Amino acid sequence: MNEVVAFWILSVIAVFGALVAVRKRNLIHGVFALLVFFAGLSGLFLLLLAEFIAAVQVLVYIGAVGILLLFAIMLTERVTGDDDRRVTSRGWFWGLVVTAAVFVVLLLPAIQQLPPPKAAQTIDPSVKELGHKLMNPYVVTLEVLALLLTAALIGAVTAAQGVRMPKEEDSPE
Amino acid sequence: MSLEPLTLTDILIATVPLMLIFATLFAFTTWLERKALARIQNRIGPNKVGIPCTRIGLFGLGQPAADGIKMIFKEDIVPRGADRLFHLLAPILALIPAMLVLCFLPLNFPWIKNIQGLVKPFMLDGAVIFFFAITGLNTLAVFMAGWASRNKYSLLGGIRAVAQMVSYEIPLVLSAVIVVMMVGSLNAAEIVKEQADEYWFILSPWGFTAFVIFFIAALAETNRSPFDLPEAESEIIAGYFTEYSGFKFALFFLGEYIAMFAISGLAVTLFLGGGDGPGVTMNPEDQGLATEAFPGLSAVWFLAKIFALIAVMIWLRGTLPRLRVDQLMGFAWKFMLPLSILNILVAGFAWHAEQLDNTIITVITWVISFAVLYGAASGLNQLNRGKVRPREYKYAE
Amino acid sequence: MTLHHYLILAALLFCVGLMGAFTRRNAIVVLFSVEIMLNAANLNFIAFWRYSENPALLHGPLFTLFAIAVAAAEVAVGLALMIAVYRHFKTVDLESMDTLREE
Repeated sequence: MNEVVAFWILSVIAVFGALVAVRKRNLIHGVFALLVFFAGLSGLFLLLLAEFIAAVQVLVYIGAVGILLLFAIMLTERVTGDDDRRVTSRGWFWGLVVTAAVFVVLLLPAIQQLPPPKAAQTIDPSVKELGHKLMNPYVVTLEVLALLLTAALIGAVTAAQGVRMPKEEDSPE
Repeated sequence: MSLEPLTLTDILIATVPLMLIFATLFAFTTWLERKALARIQNRIGPNKVGIPCTRIGLFGLGQPAADGIKMIFKEDIVPRGADRLFHLLAPILALIPAMLVLCFLPLNFPWIKNIQGLVKPFMLDGAVIFFFAITGLNTLAVFMAGWASRNKYSLLGGIRAVAQMVSYEIPLVLSAVIVVMMVGSLNAAEIVKEQADEYWFILSPWGFTAFVIFFIAALAETNRSPFDLPEAESEIIAGYFTEYSGFKFALFFLGEYIAMFAISGLAVTLFLGGGDGPGVTMNPEDQGLATEAFPGLSAVWFLAKIFALIAVMIWLRGTLPRLRVDQLMGFAWKFMLPLSILNILVAGFAWHAEQLDNTIITVITWVISFAVLYGAASGLNQLNRGKVRPREYKYAE
Repeated sequence: MTLHHYLILAALLFCVGLMGAFTRRNAIVVLFSVEIMLNAANLNFIAFWRYSENPALLHGPLFTLFAIAVAAAEVAVGLALMIAVYRHFKTVDLESMDTLREE
């Protein structure tokens, strides 16, 4: 019973957050709506007993990605975050059509072809076991990820720093 | 494991006393801080407010109540240009994560024992990572407050706070990693149990280094002096809460102190043995529950250790001058980060040496790791010394 | 709760993200939308794991963990590129970035 109520509340929060995030005119409001979506999703992960993933979701998405997005908006848009130009793209109608089509295509197998739902197994989720798994069969993946993150770090710094042009400094403005 | 049926009563028994206790401690701490700072500055501090309608002063212990009443009845002013919704949400968002993480502290309150089977406030398997995840939300609240006020000083304070909190979170987490590595668990109760069995981690060289890094980073994370740049009065009025008054300001204030308690509580859990102390025995099979000389002794030890850390924070606030922005960032990235990474390496070697279970090897490891860490700290200090230049007065000659 | 509930929710969230990516002009909002789609996929991974025959293998959480790490790297690089683009074009409006060479 508790689980059903929690599922419905969390899914409404997640869908609402996502909708506001993609449609809000003010980008800063949009980021906070996106964070509400991430929080709702983290709650759903907890409901599915993936507590470590829920914590990582909060840590990485809300803690790090959220702040990064806020800084990017402050560096590119005006500080108020208001987007006073036209916000909707030229091809919005066909975009909506394609979205609806994709939704139907995604939904059809979920309704028709899946085997009848099984009851959830009782599991004992253990963070320790996850750690062992990361070290034993998946250690190569983990190392590759570490390399990827380092490369992303260096790449991001280089890209954001830009080429320091000597012209800019002695231009009269 | 499935989701256990929780009744509302269980949840209330587990959470309400926690909030009440820490709110009371907050009131006491504000009084303590004002008294201690006054003593450091050769003043007396609040000494008038005691029992109403009498002249009994009680050393000014009624001051927090008077402050609270004043705060509630003050006018709540919202600037005209402000974003009203975010202006309202920011103080709430500042308080909630701080309150929430108190649940992850392994406090052995006697009434929690009775409902152990149902409510498991501190039995969460990933308690430490949850703690860091949720304290990270504080940053967003600060940014929200700074942005919503539509005031350039607020925005500057907010941005400063975000930069500072993000930078200092890295050494904070890296120093906690050492404890997690030594214990092999993210569970707060297991960390405490391990320390009760072996030794408090602060007593080992790597543990001590990690504790010092953790404590300094915790000061920065809670915007305490000497890292209170986000609210530096002499530079940017009051930083991100310039435009806050009345009850909203009180919420910010409360959130800041609760965050102080929470992060001190984590330091106590990770490095100072949690609720361990004379008269308390941790039961190995009972996962973090303790046999105590009288009920609640373990919680008393825990709170006493938190208060010892709070006292050090107050002392530092009265003693140290505020840092400059470049010094602040340089300290985090050029001193604390390399030292904490080296510390992880040292702790890793020490863990392998301890597995050999040979006293002589252990002693040698301790001496070597102490020497390495001390050398690294002083070397980094030497390297950074020339880099921090004295202030250049560009515009005011 | 059954698996179907979670799958339908994930499909809905994915489509919300897709809609955002198709109908907005601001590059940062498009990045939001990509994140929403990635997260919907993560929800599917976890749901399939929870209702699988053998959850002890932990395939779902592990894959999600890797996906989150890759997504974090993607956001960092994406935003850095956006700042570089903004420096060049003085806008992050996708429809006005329609040239490949220096003007």
